[in-house]
Amino acid sequence: MSEVRLQVQNLCKTFGITKAVQNVSFNINKGEVHALIGENGSGKSTLTNMLTGIYTIDSGHFILDGKEVHPKNQVEANDQGISIIVQELGTLSGLTVAENIFLGHEDRFVKFGIKNTGAMNRQAQELLNKYGFNRIRANAMVDDYNFEDRKLVEIVKATYFQPKIVVIDETTTALSQEGREELYKHMNRIRSEGNTVIFISHDLPEILRMSDTITILRDGVYIDTVKSADVNEDDLKRLMVGREVTGDYYRADYGEAVSDEVVMSVKNVTVPGLIKDINFELHKGEILGFGGLSESGMHEIGKACFGASFDRQGSVTLADGTQINDIPTAIAHSIAYTSKDRDNESVVMNQGIGDNICLPSLNTLKGAAGLLSDRKMRDFANKYAKEMSVKMVNTDQFVSDLSGGNKQKVVLARWIGKDSDILVLDSPTRGIDIKVKQDIYQLMDRMRKSGKSIIMISEELMELIGMCDRILIMKDGSINGELTRDPGLNENSLIAKMV
Amino acid sequence: MAENTTAVSREEELKKLSTMSKIRSFLPLAGLIAVFIIFNVLTGGRMIKNMSLVMSQIYVTLIAATGVFFIMTMGGLDFSQGSIMGIASIVVCLVSKVNVPLAIVAGIAAGAGIGVINGFFYVNRKIKSFIVTICTMFLFRGIIKYLTSNAPIAGSAKLIMLNNDTLKLVCTLIVLVAGFIAFRFTKFGMHLRAIGAGEKAAKFAGIRTDRMKFLIYVLAGAITGFAAFINVIKVGSVTSSGGNQLETQILIALVLGGMPISGGAKAKFQNVVIGSLLYIVLSSGLTMLGLTTQTMQLIQGVVFLIFVAVFADRQSLQVIK
Repeated sequence: MSEVRLQVQNLCKTFGITKAVQNVSFNINKGEVHALIGENGSGKSTLTNMLTGIYTIDSGHFILDGKEVHPKNQVEANDQGISIIVQELGTLSGLTVAENIFLGHEDRFVKFGIKNTGAMNRQAQELLNKYGFNRIRANAMVDDYNFEDRKLVEIVKATYFQPKIVVIDETTTALSQEGREELYKHMNRIRSEGNTVIFISHDLPEILRMSDTITILRDGVYIDTVKSADVNEDDLKRLMVGREVTGDYYRADYGEAVSDEVVMSVKNVTVPGLIKDINFELHKGEILGFGGLSESGMHEIGKACFGASFDRQGSVTLADGTQINDIPTAIAHSIAYTSKDRDNESVVMNQGIGDNICLPSLNTLKGAAGLLSDRKMRDFANKYAKEMSVKMVNTDQFVSDLSGGNKQKVVLARWIGKDSDILVLDSPTRGIDIKVKQDIYQLMDRMRKSGKSIIMISEELMELIGMCDRILIMKDGSINGELTRDPGLNENSLIAKMV
Repeated sequence: MAENTTAVSREEELKKLSTMSKIRSFLPLAGLIAVFIIFNVLTGGRMIKNMSLVMSQIYVTLIAATGVFFIMTMGGLDFSQGSIMGIASIVVCLVSKVNVPLAIVAGIAAGAGIGVINGFFYVNRKIKSFIVTICTMFLFRGIIKYLTSNAPIAGSAKLIMLNNDTLKLVCTLIVLVAGFIAFRFTKFGMHLRAIGAGEKAAKFAGIRTDRMKFLIYVLAGAITGFAAFINVIKVGSVTSSGGNQLETQILIALVLGGMPISGGAKAKFQNVVIGSLLYIVLSSGLTMLGLTTQTMQLIQGVVFLIFVAVFADRQSLQVIK
């Protein structure tokens, strides 16, 4: 039996009248990667945020190595041996890499009230080199580095002081395969040093591969703790959802011929610094996938097809000869787009669900005298929100209140309402739980069968393999390979073309 | 079981929140009625007797506030309104000596012209709207002072003879009704609100955001240019302080009316009407009580602060564009 590192005892947390965590108790051992899973809103992040001092505890205890811990903020948590790597950017812009690494611990370099920047930079550089990140300079501004490198800086920041517990909260969704591997390496290192990783992720294969023990939460309630070796993906899904997840997750067909009819052809498209000389054709009823590392330029492909790229060269032409050069033309010619940056580029956050759904379809919602009809708009919004089963009070509810999955449903409802024929979906399932994911996959399959064409850009290789008729792999801004739908495809065949 | 209870409580919470926001949206109207009653009691009913005098001050604010309301819905600000009013009034006065209808058109054109300058620097040069409009405020105030340095500029007699309440009321109503319909029942209004609620997402939903932002500044200038005509027939001539502080009056009026400072979907057209009325009742009430200008500014400042504190939507408050 391994030793217990952290005891979670009768933990509770409420927000207003929402019970986010209800009387949760379980143990986490030394030298293990302990995964926390559950659907959106199940209380995983609330729990770890209490452990790391981001939220206050309503009632209950955390007992770390036999001593109760109750950090008031992240610096205090660090001092007690607990650190966290968060989902989004956790480094502060405007500071150097070294200042970020030692944030809150600058005192160690202060003598007589003066900070010894040289010593701080030297020590930070030593740490970076030790982690193998030699190309990151400690004295450079953190802004000079891209998302992935900043995550690496965060790994150093969260682990250099050998904390007893490192929380990794949905960090991998934002990382490319390469960045993930780097993170996995350090998770294994922490475990082998006898310390503990609390790992939160939506990616079940990843959970099964990386963790020793898995604790499942549902609606703020503790469900079970299992050994990873004893369960499979379906068991986990059942425990998370609380019922059998039936039907196929991805589409099941193989060998169906795709129509020869070309609905969109992209010729010599270049966006300076992002993609160069891209050529491909999208067929009717086809799901065309784009995969690659997140910096490979694949996300720009979606914007380019939607007329949203800045300074784009080359042409995007529809079957009837229309050139797509700006967003309004794209929408008018039945192209839909969902962005990877959902909160900024897909949903209008501080607006009602109804208005969000109606926005591109206003021309069809006019009543007498050419004025917009409230009734038509309400009916329209209700119809498509229902079709997508958006969880809401009513269509006046603001989108900012919704969970990630529900926001994505609102965006999809908007484009289904517009009856778009070409859908460009960038990371459609990013940060979304299983149930909604399955809904989205089934929707894509239905749309494909009804003759609509889909471009799916994704960092999740499994969903590309599971859903696409063809996959184009991007590398350094160019297309580096094409794979066709086949039951024999696996992640390695894609990764080979990506790196 | 657990799933149901959390879902239900979440729903209850949201309902509670929406009741809260409903109560908040009635506050300005309740405030208007309360302030109106208080001042009538304090002045012994003098306010009601002089209602037409009180109302005569509101037309210009109401018309100009309509344009600024559009700008603020979009998440912008306009501090150059007072200077637009001054310049357009001078233009109306000068042209009225040639032809009165032409003077109206010229006033609108002058206002729109300044709007073009605001819009150009805001949209094409990507400078924050409050910085651009503070610059144009000083620039055109300077020009007004230069033009009126020898003597005030007076309008033609024909123009000043038009001064009657019916005309002013009808003009104001036309602007308000047109503004309301455009805001509430057309794509135009919907697009404005979407830009205020999330500009980038609005762009990705197919709205030509840059064009819209530019046109709104031109429109707001044009509307204030039209208000200049109403202003001139009331005051007869323009001095170096013509239109001074109109921008502050409008801003205070809109915020008193419940307008969220950051704009967006919560902007309601009634904010313009209730806010302007509340502002006028408040300021003329204070005058009737015999307060000095200095004290009045102090009180206005305090009231403004309280309203901003109550109505600022902190969740959706972003940087003003």
